[in-house]
Amino acid sequence: MIRKHENSDSWKAGGLAIAVHLALLGAMLISFNWKAAHPVLNVTEVELWDKLPRTKPVVVEEPKPEPKPEVKAVPKPVVEEKPKPEESKVDIELEKKKKELEQKEKELEEKRKKDEATKKLAQQMRDEDLRDKNADEKKQLDKIKQDALSDVKAETDKQASAASASLIGEYKAKIQAKIRNNVNKTLCGGGNPELRFEVNLLPTGELSGSPKITKSSGNSTCDDAVERAIIASEPLPLPSDPGLFSSFRNLNLKFRPNDN
Amino acid sequence: MNVGSDMSLFSLISGASLPVQAVLVILLIISLFSWWYIFIKVATIKRAETESEEFENKFWTGGDLSKLYESVTAGRRKPQGMASIFEAGFKEFIRHKQQANMEAKMEISDVMEGSRRAMRAAFNRELDDLDAHLPFLASVGSVSPYIGLFGTVWGIMNAFRGLSSVAQATLSQVAPGIAEALVATAIGLFAAIPAVIAYNRFASSVDRLSVRYESFMEEFTNILQRKL
Repeated sequence: MIRKHENSDSWKAGGLAIAVHLALLGAMLISFNWKAAHPVLNVTEVELWDKLPRTKPVVVEEPKPEPKPEVKAVPKPVVEEKPKPEESKVDIELEKKKKELEQKEKELEEKRKKDEATKKLAQQMRDEDLRDKNADEKKQLDKIKQDALSDVKAETDKQASAASASLIGEYKAKIQAKIRNNVNKTLCGGGNPELRFEVNLLPTGELSGSPKITKSSGNSTCDDAVERAIIASEPLPLPSDPGLFSSFRNLNLKFRPNDN
Repeated sequence: MNVGSDMSLFSLISGASLPVQAVLVILLIISLFSWWYIFIKVATIKRAETESEEFENKFWTGGDLSKLYESVTAGRRKPQGMASIFEAGFKEFIRHKQQANMEAKMEISDVMEGSRRAMRAAFNRELDDLDAHLPFLASVGSVSPYIGLFGTVWGIMNAFRGLSSVAQATLSQVAPGIAEALVATAIGLFAAIPAVIAYNRFASSVDRLSVRYESFMEEFTNILQRKL
């Protein structure tokens, strides 16, 4: 490994070699930032909703179904009129009369039975009628209720939409202003060209897919400039209210780059 | 310096796969040895140069050759470099001369041949000492980048293999593996670059010394021939 004449140097050389490696290690440790910087991951969490949640839970005043008791109060078929068979006058008469009476009684009974049968029938029919009537009324009631409900809903919707319409308009103006700031106007030349872009947005304000041009200005460099500006304006300003996002999902933007 | 953080040099190395770690250890040992030899050779070649300088000065100032021979052999240390060549040549010359005087049979050319052979042998020994470890440095310079590259390729293969099982691949999943793999290349280059530079430097120094020794041999032969 080592020559005799080198013995005198070997220790010094070994020390120097180790020193060089320590220097390398030190340089590696100092020159690099070995700490891994973990930037906050920009993860957009997506929750899927069937319907957009209302920001303000609309208090729907449920119209108390007042007419219900009325329905209940529908006259119950009075079936109590029991035709009392005339008590045969039992005069102690002749026995032959007795037979007659008996016969009469029989007849009466038969009659009563007949009566009852007819009455039953009638009652059945009336019951059916009533049921029908009840159902009808219920349906009507439901309809009234629904109407009232939808009225309330519509009213609150109207109020909300009135409030949000201004917000939507405001943010649309903001979006357009932001994009317009990024447009290189010199590329659009003179004149006052108008462009229309269809932009699909994500709830984060980022574009989903590239913007589609729906109306060209006739100048492809100008179109490209506006498209680049749209991409450069990511993320676009959106209202914080997630309920309003639906009106931003597909945006039709109109641009007049030279219009100030 | 946060050693404990997940991307520190030490955790990178300790987290590396076994072949990469083996490559790193091999390279570290190679690098240590090559630097050790480099420092040893720097010292020995420097010393050989100053000694030959001193000896040439002493030699060419004139004076008695036998006195110079005595002073060279008087030292406890075995003469080295040019002095050892001079010692070998002069010793052989004296012996042949004595024999020639006694027997009167030896030709002048035989005496000169003998001393030349002795000097040549001493020169070869010296050259061998000077050349020591240079092949090792040459091997380190040419091979250690490949060893480092092997470790890097292995590490990157590993990193990408791990990536295949992930549905959403991000750079942060491969980055540590690649970084740890590149440490192997870095150490390989760290061993190779100085070794190559040192090899070239030492080779040229040894060449110059050997030319110096050879020319000294020729001149000394001339002087001896004149003395006969």
